[in-house]
Amino acid sequence: MSEDSKTPSVILENVSKWYGQVMGINDISLAIEGGVTGVLGPNGAGKSTLFKLLMGRIKPSQGSVKLFGIDPWSDTSPYRRIGYVSESERLYDWMTAQDFVSTLARLHGMTREEANARAEHVLDFVGLHDVRHKEIGKYSKGMRQRVKIAHALVHDPDLIILDEPLHGCDPIARTSIMNVIRELGRQGKTVLVSSHILEEIERITEQIVILHNGRLLALGNLYAIRDLLDKHPHRIMITTNEPRKLASAFISEEPVYGVRFPEDGKLEIQTNDLSAAHSVLPRVIVNSKVSVSRIDNPDDNLESLLGYLIGGA
Amino acid sequence: MSDEQINLDGGQTRMEAAYGSDDGDNDSSAIVAKKEASLGAIFEQNYRPWDGNLGPRWVRNYAIFRHHVFGLFTSKGHRHYNPFVRLTILVIFIGAISPIAMLFFSSLFGAGPDSFIDKMWGINRSNLWGQVLGYFPRNLCYWPLLTALVVGGMISDDRRNGTSAIYFSRPVTRVDYTLMKYLSVAVVLGFVIVFSYMAYYTLAIVFKGEGWGFLIDTLPMFLSGLLCSLLLVITYTSIGLALSSISQSRFFSAIAFLSIIYGTKLVALLIDLQFETSILYILSPYDCLAHLGQWLLGLELNYSHSLSLSVVSLIMMNVISIMILISRVSSLEVTRE
Repeated sequence: MSEDSKTPSVILENVSKWYGQVMGINDISLAIEGGVTGVLGPNGAGKSTLFKLLMGRIKPSQGSVKLFGIDPWSDTSPYRRIGYVSESERLYDWMTAQDFVSTLARLHGMTREEANARAEHVLDFVGLHDVRHKEIGKYSKGMRQRVKIAHALVHDPDLIILDEPLHGCDPIARTSIMNVIRELGRQGKTVLVSSHILEEIERITEQIVILHNGRLLALGNLYAIRDLLDKHPHRIMITTNEPRKLASAFISEEPVYGVRFPEDGKLEIQTNDLSAAHSVLPRVIVNSKVSVSRIDNPDDNLESLLGYLIGGA
Repeated sequence: MSDEQINLDGGQTRMEAAYGSDDGDNDSSAIVAKKEASLGAIFEQNYRPWDGNLGPRWVRNYAIFRHHVFGLFTSKGHRHYNPFVRLTILVIFIGAISPIAMLFFSSLFGAGPDSFIDKMWGINRSNLWGQVLGYFPRNLCYWPLLTALVVGGMISDDRRNGTSAIYFSRPVTRVDYTLMKYLSVAVVLGFVIVFSYMAYYTLAIVFKGEGWGFLIDTLPMFLSGLLCSLLLVITYTSIGLALSSISQSRFFSAIAFLSIIYGTKLVALLIDLQFETSILYILSPYDCLAHLGQWLLGLELNYSHSLSLSVVSLIMMNVISIMILISRVSSLEVTRE
């Protein structure tokens, strides 16, 4: 294995960025390699600052940013291996998607034939093959987002950075773009994707980076991070016609350390070991002979995790 | 109705078969869509890696250059120039080469060296200077308008639309970006100004059937004029691109360029008329070039101030313009710094 292949695509070491008195990013260190990683956080968390640092748009006030082991501020060579979709970037509306993507392919040094063939392939990949000869100005928002993804993929990058790629898209376009992102992750590309829409990040990946007020709150697998939050027990919500009877059956089980009745017909079980609680669940329900109509894990999702981490829930 | 008539293996339901039937008057059986008919489609997202080699720096830079220059001829895959802009550039180019037509007529009529046509359009010091630096119509109408139209949106469009991010998220340095924009403008201006000058000189020799002696006599003058035309292209490109880089509007950069060229000239002219001093012409890019051109071509100088002041002013204009250009491009897409 070469030295280059051992180096993670993205390395940030003690990176801070101040805008005057305002802290954009505060002492962040992380390394990302392979698969899809969701970058999450509320507005002002530092997601855009992080991407601008990665794209060499701003220089870190402190620390170092490395893409494939190279500082992108002083050397543009990593961009040969990076595809970037900006949130706000405008496109050349007078061009057709085919012309636009092939023109940008030539900015990477492809020949005309290579650029045209590659543009056709990536437009096909994002589902725009049939309309590739239509002017971009006539495209819907979702189609424009897909053109952005196509132009970011045209040179077959190893690292793809997508800043709010689902922003403003209709549900069909979102589904299509999410499929594209998942497929890129399956291909072994390193994909960094930011979004405010937590459910959609959940549908794309379990690997997340959570930022808040410029600080790195969490990094890793969504469920592994959730398990680390001991002070916030997991909750299992059971809808039943006899919640008190079911509660008395559950309370003696080891993984369960508390029960609540948040509203009529509902039982909330509190546990620190979600999988163990789920393993005893069927037996207890059957033995208690209570009718259960629904079982939920209301806080086993990204939104709850984000809430716990930033103290909003 | 038999199973062959409704082929369930083909994915057709009985309801769909019923929808496919006619009114039933002639035939009691349903007409079933063919087995291969499609009622929907699932798109496979099959990403195919690319294993080619990306080209070197000069190939990428050439892509930027051709994007801007070829856009004058076709917008397909290139920068968009308004058809009116293209038409105006064509008219200016035709205007710039119009003396060639007069020389052609002169050669047809066999006009002598002292004829009116030859004095007006033949090869001599004044006409070589005038082909590049003559005030009317070239420096009053043609060259400033041409520059304003070409540089107008060259960087300001990127600034307004954020399309410079398209370049800077690729292995294109800001130096490459600036150089290629500069070269693109200079080549378009050069094609109209320098090429028309060279064509004028070359075709004058051809049409008049001049020999080597004439060529040797006039070549130094021609080269002086050529140097003037290159300096004019460089100066106008520098000023125009600097203005384009500080604005987000192609109109502002175009009108600001015209204001600088015409405004400085007008102010200097008024001061000259009122106080009989030409010193303020050092503020006018055109007059600095005209002054230098007169000296290079051995013409009588129209300006009372020292030539060195015009040369220094010209250098300063270019240096300041390029510094502004570099500074503004350095800050492009670099946010809140």
